[in-house]
Amino acid sequence: MIKTVDLHKSFIIEGQAEPLHVLKGVSEHIKKGEVVSIIGPSGGGKSTFLRCLNMLEIPEKGHIYFEGVDITAEDVDINLHRQKMGMVFQHFNVFPHLSVAENITLAPVLTKKRTQAEADELAKELLQRVGLYDKWSEHPGRLSGGQKQRLAIVRALAMEPDVMLFDEPTSALDPEMVGEVLDVIKGLVKSGMTSVIVTHEMGFCREVSDRVLFMDGGIIAEEGTPEEVFNHPQNPRTAEFLSKVLY
Amino acid sequence: MEFFSNVAKIMAKYWKVFLVKGVGYTLILTTITVFFGAILGVFICLARMSKSKVLNAISLNLTEIIRGTPMLLQLYVFYFGLPRLFPSIPTFVSVLIGFTINSACYVSEVFRSGIQAVDKGQTEAARSLGLNGRQTMMKIVLPQAIKNILPALGNEFITITKDTSLASTFFVGEVMTSYLIVKGNTFLTMECLFIVAVIYYVMTVILNRLVGRMERRLRTSD
Ligand SMILES: Nc1ncnc2c1ncn2[C@@H]1O[C@H](COP(=O)(O)OP(=O)(O)O)[C@@H](O)[C@H]1O
Ligand SMILES: [Mg+2]
Repeated sequence: MIKTVDLHKSFIIEGQAEPLHVLKGVSEHIKKGEVVSIIGPSGGGKSTFLRCLNMLEIPEKGHIYFEGVDITAEDVDINLHRQKMGMVFQHFNVFPHLSVAENITLAPVLTKKRTQAEADELAKELLQRVGLYDKWSEHPGRLSGGQKQRLAIVRALAMEPDVMLFDEPTSALDPEMVGEVLDVIKGLVKSGMTSVIVTHEMGFCREVSDRVLFMDGGIIAEEGTPEEVFNHPQNPRTAEFLSKVLY
Repeated sequence: MEFFSNVAKIMAKYWKVFLVKGVGYTLILTTITVFFGAILGVFICLARMSKSKVLNAISLNLTEIIRGTPMLLQLYVFYFGLPRLFPSIPTFVSVLIGFTINSACYVSEVFRSGIQAVDKGQTEAARSLGLNGRQTMMKIVLPQAIKNILPALGNEFITITKDTSLASTFFVGEVMTSYLIVKGNTFLTMECLFIVAVIYYVMTVILNRLVGRMERRLRTSD
């Protein structure tokens, strides 16, 4: 579904002579139906890698193949491909000037995937699924963090994506709201949605992942099944990281 | 007390010059300036934020020159310069064009900072849904930026109201020109200045109220 080949990404930092080399050759293959979690220390390049997958960050070297198409190619209409990749952000990024319903229906209607009536119907279904249907005409300013994130997930789902990308979807939430969001994601992955999840929730990661990637220093330092990575880490850096985040 | 009786006498005789002609011209000048300044400001702002290096350089230099030189000097340039290109251009229009270009440059910066104040995450979310740059700007960024921009535009209206007094240098007919006319007839300088000060003060107080009301309405519409 998504294949990356030798991805490199650097950031030019003002006042610094050398660009910051964040991704140092990441090659990875995410298969259809797979749930892949990315863990690792802060600053290791997890977000940058995830954001490269839908070209929110443009890698300076390497290729990304999405459903067989090289989306790093110059002549590719990236918008068409992004419509098939949902993304959920740490800080929700719901649209504060639109109602809950409009947040969901805006993109399907604007991109002509659906008529307004069809989009409304789908929005209703999705909101009912995550328990937010009673907020239909509310503005997001009135929602709690957990509700905002559930809305953000549903907004992405309304485009009927082939893959979902999550960047620390629960890191900005108060602890009591983490569960409700993780439950929605669990439901989603159980229904077979291909997902790439950057997370610090180790229990959740272990439970839902088919594969775990440990990213550190701009490379994938280790990968394997949750059982392999959590119980028998091969790389001492993985072991060190896990010893800090697990008890 | 002679002062106030003089003021009363002046107003009895010249109220039309101050309140009809003077205030009228000031409001016309201000309104047209802000209106066309805002439209032109949009284009300068677009040029400033575009990817084209040429457009970038033009708009950046223009705004820096306008913001870096006195307005009165700019008005002189338009007052003397435009008739060379268009010999039959009325003074009022030359001065108006000067004000408009000056205001456009300030307003373009208001637009730019209003747009940049919208959280980058909003753009990222919109683009990640597959919206193109234009749709993102029109449906997500601008509707949020407008809340930052409108109050600043209101303040620009107030600033211009006061700045139009500079047009009296060219005897355009606004409030400060009416001061020159009436003072010339009565020789009562301080009384005339007092009247004009009150007129400007009342105009800006009223405008301030209107801007404040607009700001409150924008804030509650979230
Ligand atoms: N837009 C950016 N500009 C400059 N530096 C950035 C930018 N985005 C990320 N970085 C830097 O790149 C490194 C990796 O960041 P990130 O991918 O967010 O790591 P992680 O998600 O694993 O914590 C960090 O040092 C971060 O400061
Ligand atoms: Mg991150």
